[in-house]
Amino acid sequence: MIEFHQISKKFGENTVVRDLNLTVTRGEFCVLIGSSGSGKSTILKMINRLVEHDTGEIRFAGEEIRTFPPEVLRRRIGYAIQSVGLFPHWTVEANIATVPRLLGWAPDRIDARIAELLHLLNLDAARYRKAFPHQLSGGQQQRVGVARALAADPDVLLMDEPFGALDPITRDSLQSEMTRIHAETGKTIVFVTHDMDEALRLASRVVILDKGHIVQAASPRDLLNAPANDFVREFLGKDDYGLKLLSVETVAKRMRRSIEADGEGSVLPEDNLRLALSRMVALKTDRIAVCNALGARTGTLFLADVVT
Amino acid sequence: MTVLTTRQDRQSSIRFLTALTVFLALLLALPHSTPVFAALFPVLDRPLYQQQSFASLVLAHLELVGAATLMATTVGVGAGVYVTRPQGREFRRLIETLSAMGQTFPPVAVLALSVPVIGFGFWPAFIALALYGVLPIAENTVSGLEGVDRAATEAAEGIGMTRGQRLLQIELPLAAPVILAGIRTSVTINIGTAAIASTVGAVSLGSPIIIGLNGNNTAYILQGALLVSGLAIVVDMGFDVLSRRFGRWKVR
Repeated sequence: MIEFHQISKKFGENTVVRDLNLTVTRGEFCVLIGSSGSGKSTILKMINRLVEHDTGEIRFAGEEIRTFPPEVLRRRIGYAIQSVGLFPHWTVEANIATVPRLLGWAPDRIDARIAELLHLLNLDAARYRKAFPHQLSGGQQQRVGVARALAADPDVLLMDEPFGALDPITRDSLQSEMTRIHAETGKTIVFVTHDMDEALRLASRVVILDKGHIVQAASPRDLLNAPANDFVREFLGKDDYGLKLLSVETVAKRMRRSIEADGEGSVLPEDNLRLALSRMVALKTDRIAVCNALGARTGTLFLADVVT
Repeated sequence: MTVLTTRQDRQSSIRFLTALTVFLALLLALPHSTPVFAALFPVLDRPLYQQQSFASLVLAHLELVGAATLMATTVGVGAGVYVTRPQGREFRRLIETLSAMGQTFPPVAVLALSVPVIGFGFWPAFIALALYGVLPIAENTVSGLEGVDRAATEAAEGIGMTRGQRLLQIELPLAAPVILAGIRTSVTINIGTAAIASTVGAVSLGSPIIIGLNGNNTAYILQGALLVSGLAIVVDMGFDVLSRRFGRWKVR
């Protein structure tokens, strides 16, 4: 879907991206992570030509991005940023309708699309359609921001630290939404963050960057099981490395079919082991019931199985 | 949009309509007020200004101020937009300096200077008013555009608006309340200055004042002054209504 071939970018004397090669395949949730100055945001902005690359070639859907006029390219790529950037003088529905309107969609098609997106982002249409951005909370604003980015059904969604300014609870719920939206829409997503937990939670592939080049690109599990070097290990965190390992494994993988746990508390098979461990510690127990979404017991998770 | 019409908005509209009604009533009553002014100023032979009708003076005044403001707005907003674009950035300091210098220059001086160049009548007054009116508008256009939330313009660019679309749909509407405040300042100054413009031969509400000053007719001065100040108040209240409408999306 997006291919970087030998991309370099300098700002003045400062090389921010060096000989970058990266291919983002269709449907992938690719998270670029690195400390500030690693070039992650620059790489993201090169995709929609907010930053122009100096050398090399970037292909979007098979074509060099410079063959498109920037506006045409950008209307095919959703874009959501940390500061959200809703247009304060427009209602929620006008904000969401921006790109479809630029593309000249018919009014009733735009109208239907707005309803669909408000539903997808869990926003009550009756309450929020006609509201102005300043009447919404930060989390709701970013939901509208994501809806606006998805409005014209773009091939690719670019997200530049979209949840960085939100409180932990709101961030957590939006991260769940993103996982669900990615699963439902199958969009190709390129997502920039500096939060490793967020990267491991969302990504199908994590790309770790340092000083403008890729240190390691791998699935969360491969990354945790085989960090390429000390830099990656450092980045994954020393103290809670074990917890991160647990966070990429599901309960379903380690549970036993026998039904042995009693007492309160249960986990879902698709919950991660970190959450299961946390719940066991809180309940002071070494085994916990596994129930499916309907509440029926399907097995048991033992502490010993979690740590092995 | 109606959800955001507050009580203050309605009160502002009511104030404007009341002022307008009072002003129109004054304008209708003045031609019939000879007995009042005769009683106030018994020494005067002709206590009521009758060279032109007051209504035509108000129209002439509005025409002068309106034409000058239209010109000043076109030039001022144009200049403000230009110097905030990448290609015009180098002229920004120039505009700021001119603007600061211009404010220290009394409007009467601009009038006096334009007479030797253009002569007497409507045009020197128009040029003086337009020139003087450009400054607050250009200045406010620049600060209005600079004050637009960076996040909004960044998002607008990132989702595929062209420069023109960004300017017309995002930047100018968001800067509109500040630009409008500049136009308001410009118009308020110019309603006063247009009265003085009668000294260079333009017909305006200043005509009775100037003639009254020359002929020691205090009644004429009072009649002109009443209408000029009334007009200034009505127009200012009109701007209050307008600026509330433009700023309706703002956090209250």
